[in-house]
Amino acid sequence: MVNVFAVPVFFICFRECLECSIIVSVLLAFLKQTLGPEHDEAIRKKFVRQIWLGTALGLLFCLIIAAGIIGTFYTAGRNAFESAEYIYEGVFALVAAVIISVMGAALLRISKLQDKWRRKIAVSLERKDRVAFGKGKVKLWCEKYAMFMLPLVTVLREGIEMVLFIAGVGLGLPASSFPLAVVCGLGAGVLVGYLIYAGGNKTSLQIFLVASTCFLYLVAAGLFSKGVWDLEMNAWRKLAGEGAVEAGAGPGSYDIRKSVWHVNCCSPGSGGDGGWGIFNSLFGWQNSATYGSVISYNLYWLVVIVGFLVTGFRERNGRYPLQKAQSAAEADAESDRSGGALGAKGGETAARTAVREVGE
Amino acid sequence: MALSFSNFLFLHLLFIAVAHCAIKTYNFDVSWVSANPDELLERSVIGINGQWPIPTINVTKGDQVVVHVKNSLGNESTSLHFHGLYQNGTTHMDGPAQVTQCAIIPGGTFTYNFTVDQPGTYWYHSHVRGQYPDGLRGAFVVHDPEDPHKDLYDEEIVLTLSDWYHEHMPDLLASFINIANPSGAEPVPQSALVNETQNLTVRIEPGKRYKFRIINMGAFAAQYVWFEDHTMQIVEVDGIYTKPTDAEMIYVTVAQRWSVIVTAKNNSDANFAFVGSMDQDLFDTVPDGLNPNVTGWLVYDDAKEKPAPKEVESFEPFDDFDLAPYDQESLYEHVDYQIQLDMKMDNLDDGANYAFFNDQTYVAPKVPTLYTALSTGPNATNPLIYGSHTNQFVLAHNQVVELILNNDDPGKHPFHLHGHAFQLVHRSPDDAGFYDATTAPALPATPMRRDTVLVRPNGNLVLRFRSDNPGVWLFHCHIEWHVASGLIATIIEAPLEMQKQLAGKIPEDHVEACSAAGVPMEGNAAGNTVDVLDLKGEVSFAGPLPEGFTARGVVALVFSCVAAFVGMAVVAWYGMAPVKAKSG
Repeated sequence: MVNVFAVPVFFICFRECLECSIIVSVLLAFLKQTLGPEHDEAIRKKFVRQIWLGTALGLLFCLIIAAGIIGTFYTAGRNAFESAEYIYEGVFALVAAVIISVMGAALLRISKLQDKWRRKIAVSLERKDRVAFGKGKVKLWCEKYAMFMLPLVTVLREGIEMVLFIAGVGLGLPASSFPLAVVCGLGAGVLVGYLIYAGGNKTSLQIFLVASTCFLYLVAAGLFSKGVWDLEMNAWRKLAGEGAVEAGAGPGSYDIRKSVWHVNCCSPGSGGDGGWGIFNSLFGWQNSATYGSVISYNLYWLVVIVGFLVTGFRERNGRYPLQKAQSAAEADAESDRSGGALGAKGGETAARTAVREVGE
Repeated sequence: MALSFSNFLFLHLLFIAVAHCAIKTYNFDVSWVSANPDELLERSVIGINGQWPIPTINVTKGDQVVVHVKNSLGNESTSLHFHGLYQNGTTHMDGPAQVTQCAIIPGGTFTYNFTVDQPGTYWYHSHVRGQYPDGLRGAFVVHDPEDPHKDLYDEEIVLTLSDWYHEHMPDLLASFINIANPSGAEPVPQSALVNETQNLTVRIEPGKRYKFRIINMGAFAAQYVWFEDHTMQIVEVDGIYTKPTDAEMIYVTVAQRWSVIVTAKNNSDANFAFVGSMDQDLFDTVPDGLNPNVTGWLVYDDAKEKPAPKEVESFEPFDDFDLAPYDQESLYEHVDYQIQLDMKMDNLDDGANYAFFNDQTYVAPKVPTLYTALSTGPNATNPLIYGSHTNQFVLAHNQVVELILNNDDPGKHPFHLHGHAFQLVHRSPDDAGFYDATTAPALPATPMRRDTVLVRPNGNLVLRFRSDNPGVWLFHCHIEWHVASGLIATIIEAPLEMQKQLAGKIPEDHVEACSAAGVPMEGNAAGNTVDVLDLKGEVSFAGPLPEGFTARGVVALVFSCVAAFVGMAVVAWYGMAPVKAKSG
């Protein structure tokens, strides 16, 4: 199963696609709002066509670039990584864990994304309204076709980001594990985007988001732990050489000095124990746990717990714990500058307004 | 080469000596000297009296041998073992440190004094942890005025085979038994040697018959041996005369000896190569550029070229199981006592790889086992007193003992029993698994006897011998790496008879060696003299690897699960909060 479905790849696709579909949905909603039935049906249709055309072109470019990058990687680059496989896998697992954590936090405040894009679109359309003299032809064209350019650029940007993430995270994964994960991720992203657009039951959407974020964090915790494990394994392989490879899952395949538990089976790496591979990519299971892998797993959760508690406290009370209540406004301003904890940008007011908007 | 001439001389001296059994005395000053036998690297080696290779000991059956050893190494203890000699009545002269004596510390002296009552080809070497491959290994030949094959040959020549390492054994052992070598890959030698050199030439006279005494004194590598265009006639293995048997190629494991008669051609038209080729199956990885072969030449004519050896298509050595002893000693029937040894390689909780008999790796006891047997009176028959790490078996006197060895390891191992030649009554092919008497083929009527025998990968073998030699005898793999990693069993044979034989006969230098080394000489394996059944204080050693989840693993797993659930609860609390805020 691990050979046909790469979990991190799924989430990357899901997240990037979700952002794209939010933009598209915001744009469509904007058109619905501003160019209501009292406006010319033909103009509205024209803009809708622009939006979808931009999205489609963006997707196409993405696919081409993705095929290029991944193709190059699997034909030329892979051997270069092979010798230091554990280092690369470890580093990418750590990076992926951080990325997933940050995007997970953002997912819980999905409505803020909507808000952000609504503001951006408003700004760009405002500019279009007050056409200035002396502007370049290109810029003029862009502004005229904002409904085309926005989705194109967004899809392109998110898409390339996605490809780079996948290339990184998926380094140690077999190529066969990609297609299904990519398709599912994209599908889920479109679905959630549509749910947001269509409105519907906001509480169940929220529950869905919370559940999927929990899952996301499980994966990230596992990845973080696996990253540390991979780095330790790299050090062990360097020390023990061929002997460590020969040992399979048995004695000598791990560094006894760092071992917390070891069972001579259920290895996520080897071919036979397929189920353990899923267990590994979902929860970071190792048949040979080390102090590093266990401590990093728990440490990850500790950081997540503290991070959310602090952010949650701040959203409710307008200040950090242990901070004096009156300086809340300053803290707010400061957090806008520094970006806030776990990527949850903006103050509680924004979040609440946004959610309320979703709820309306 | 002056070999043949000196041997010729010796044969004459030999007949003079027959009349009265002589006392042969040797003064061996063991010290470091410098040598470069493979012409690749000059290194320090352990020599005797400033010389290396060390001298060959030539005695005649019945001689009393006295070897005064002085340890001038400065940095290593030593001892000498006379490999293959039964030492009947003199088990305390056998030589293994911490078994029948204390190691001779630097500056110490020690005298070996025993009578040789058996003919044949033997060797002597250090029996202190992994030491002999650094050079302390030499031939020990017992000539026999009544050799039944003496009409089959005119001259005799000793050929020692060995493998050669460029690094010193203590350093190699430190990296061999190490967490960084979890698979227990043995160090691979850099070269093969014959008579501790390479490109040896042996002067041959046309028409003459030569008895080659071939001894593998190596640390690790067995060697295939063949003489190009000459057939070998096997007449002795490990001191046991055999019915003359022809062979084109023999497989000589470390510590084995084979005497073969080679009949020279009747003309001097060409010279012929002979080759010792290390068995590379033993090597975990064969390093690039390793020359596994050592070549020598039967030189009929100095003026003619010495041809390079021809490639052989495959190694098809003679199977020594097919040999028959010359004395036709028949199979020991009616087994009185059975020893089963299941051997394997595994890792202990220090991460290093060790060798095991019946799940126990050998660790030397605090008190040398012989002294335990001699100092514990009637308790000496109780195996318990010999400790928890010595793989000990106590045998009664004059019984037929069967030893079943099951090799649960994919390697070839040459096993050696001190104090005896044994009958090899069964040997399985590769991968036969454990021995099963019910399915095994019928045992041979006159089994081959020797003292060092090969067990095949994942195979088994069965030995029989008579416990007619009171003493403490090791049974061990003769690959020096595996001796160090604990592939040793201790056989305490007829301890009460041994006490009678040796009462008051342990020489003073045994006591001096032990007191100099600070090793106790009395009591059980732990050195307890009051209650010898109490092993408190015996040597402790690395334990087995923890199996699966120990308390620490369970705690870690539970902690991780709790962390994950609490974490998800917090995520849910945070994620659901705004919705609540709205509704509230």
